[in-house]
Amino acid sequence: MIGMARERRLAEIFVEVADSLVDDFDVIDLLQRLSTRCVELLDVAAAGILLADANGELQIIAASDEHTRLLELFALQHDQGPCVECYRTGNARTNIDLTRPETTVAWPRFAARARTTGYVATHAIPLRLRSRVVGALNLFQTRAHRLGDDDIALARALADVATIAILQQRTLEQSHVENSQLETALSSRILIEQVKGVLAERWDSSVDDAFAAFRAYARARHLRLSEFAAQIISGGFDTADIPPPAPDRSADRPG
Amino acid sequence: MAESGTVISDGMAEVLRRLHLDGPGDPTPAWARALGAEGVALTLLVGAERTPEPLWCHPDLSARFEELQFTLGEGPGPEVIHNGLPVLEPDLDRVRLERWPALLPAAANMGVHGVCCFPLGLGAIRVGVLTVLCDGERRMGAQQYADAGALAAALTSAFLGGDLRRDGDGSALDIPEPPSGLHRPAVHQATGMISVQLGVSMQEALLRLRAHAYGSERPLGEVAQDVVARRLRFRDEPTGDCTGDSTGDFTDDFTDDFDDDGSGPHSPDGGKG
Repeated sequence: MIGMARERRLAEIFVEVADSLVDDFDVIDLLQRLSTRCVELLDVAAAGILLADANGELQIIAASDEHTRLLELFALQHDQGPCVECYRTGNARTNIDLTRPETTVAWPRFAARARTTGYVATHAIPLRLRSRVVGALNLFQTRAHRLGDDDIALARALADVATIAILQQRTLEQSHVENSQLETALSSRILIEQVKGVLAERWDSSVDDAFAAFRAYARARHLRLSEFAAQIISGGFDTADIPPPAPDRSADRPG
Repeated sequence: MAESGTVISDGMAEVLRRLHLDGPGDPTPAWARALGAEGVALTLLVGAERTPEPLWCHPDLSARFEELQFTLGEGPGPEVIHNGLPVLEPDLDRVRLERWPALLPAAANMGVHGVCCFPLGLGAIRVGVLTVLCDGERRMGAQQYADAGALAAALTSAFLGGDLRRDGDGSALDIPEPPSGLHRPAVHQATGMISVQLGVSMQEALLRLRAHAYGSERPLGEVAQDVVARRLRFRDEPTGDCTGDSTGDFTDDFTDDFDDDGSGPHSPDGGKG
C-alpha cells in the first residue's frame, strides 16, 4: 500500500495536472514538472520522458533536471537502451541492474555511459495510448533499492498522465490527429535546446544555468517555453530583460 | 497488443530508400503514389530573404496550388512556414472562411479538396514545406500521416544545409545524405551558441558546425560537445561581414562549398531549366 503522505502527494499531482490541462498549456513545462514529481514520489535520482519521432526514434522531451550529461544519456537511446526495448515491445522494463554486464549486454554504450554518470539502476515504462506506444518514461537510480509493485504502479500512473498531457494539447487551429501533438512537442524541445545555446553564449554561462534562468523568467510570467524561445531566437525579445544566472567561474562541469 | 507508433508503409520505405540513390529527376510522382495523394509539392525557403520556392510539384494541380498560396501569402503552406508546425486540413470545406479568405474560394475552383502541410525544419530552423493534396475522400489516414511525416523528416535532414561533400557528381538534384547526430541536445545547444558567436542564422550556424565536423573528420555530436564545453569557438575574420560568406577560423577549407548558400541549398535549374 502506498503510504498516506505519498498518496496525498499523488492526489495533489493529479489535481495540479488536471488544472494545467484546462487552459492552453505548455506541454514541455508540464512534462518537466511531472518528471520532477516522479523523482520525488518514487525516490529516484532522475526521470525523463521520451517520445518517438516520425522515424520511430526516441527523443527526450522533458527531464527532471536539464543537466547536459543526463540529456545526453537520454539522447543515446535514440537507437539503443531500455527505453527502445520498452517502446518496441510495449512492455515495462523495471529494476534493471546497470552494474551487471549480463543484463546490459544488449546496449553496452548506454550502460557504460549511465554508470559513468553515476547511475546503478534504471527503469523504462511505456507511454501508451490505447494499443499504441508513443514513448517511454525513464527512471534512474544512484543507489540500488528495488522499486516494488506499488512503485511501478505509481510510475505507470504518472506515465499515463504524461501521455494524456501530450495528446490533450491543442494548438489553436488544429484539432486533427494526435500525431501532430507529438511533433509539436518534439519541435519545441529542439527550439529550447537552441535557445539554451543562444543565452549561454550571451551570458557566458553554462547551458544548464542559462536554461534555469530562462525557465524561471518564463514561469514567473506564464510564458510558454517554446514560444518564448522562438521569440528570443527571432530577435523579438530583448534578453537583457532576463536576469542572467550568477557567474560561476569555479564550476566547469555540470552538476 | 502493442504497436510502436505507426510504421511507415512499404511504398514509403522504398521512396525513402531511393531518396539518395535516384539521380536527377522529379521524385514527386513516386511520392504521390506512395502517399496515395492527389498531389505533392516540395517548397524550399531560399536566399537571404527566405523566399518560398517550389522545387518539385506533381501534378500540375499541385504546382498551381503552391503558386496560389505563396502568391496570396495565405494558406496552410505560409502558416507552416510561419509556425513550424504541421497544418492538417484534409477537408477544406470545413475550414472557416476568415482563416484564408482569398485562398479558400480559389482552391475550391481549382478542385483542391483538402491540404496537409508538413514543416521541413529543426526548432527555429525552417527549410521548407511538404504539401500533400488529399483526394476526394477528404481525409488523412494514420498511415498517410506516418508516411508523410517520415518523408518530411528525411527531406529536412537532406536539405538542412546542402551537401558538404566535395566529390558529388555535380547533379543539381542529388539529394545529400542526412547528417547524423541531430538527435543529440548538444548539437542544438552548440548551434545556438555558434549563431551568437558568428552573428548568423541558426541554419547557417548548424551548417558551420557540420562543416567543421566534416572537415575535422569527427562526429557532429562530439564537436558540438566541444562547443558547449567552450573548448571550441567559431570566429569570423575581422574583415568578415557576418553575412555567411566570411571565413570561419575552423572552416577555411570548406567555405567555398557553401559560399553561395544564400541562393538556397539546391538550385532547381538542373531539373526544370
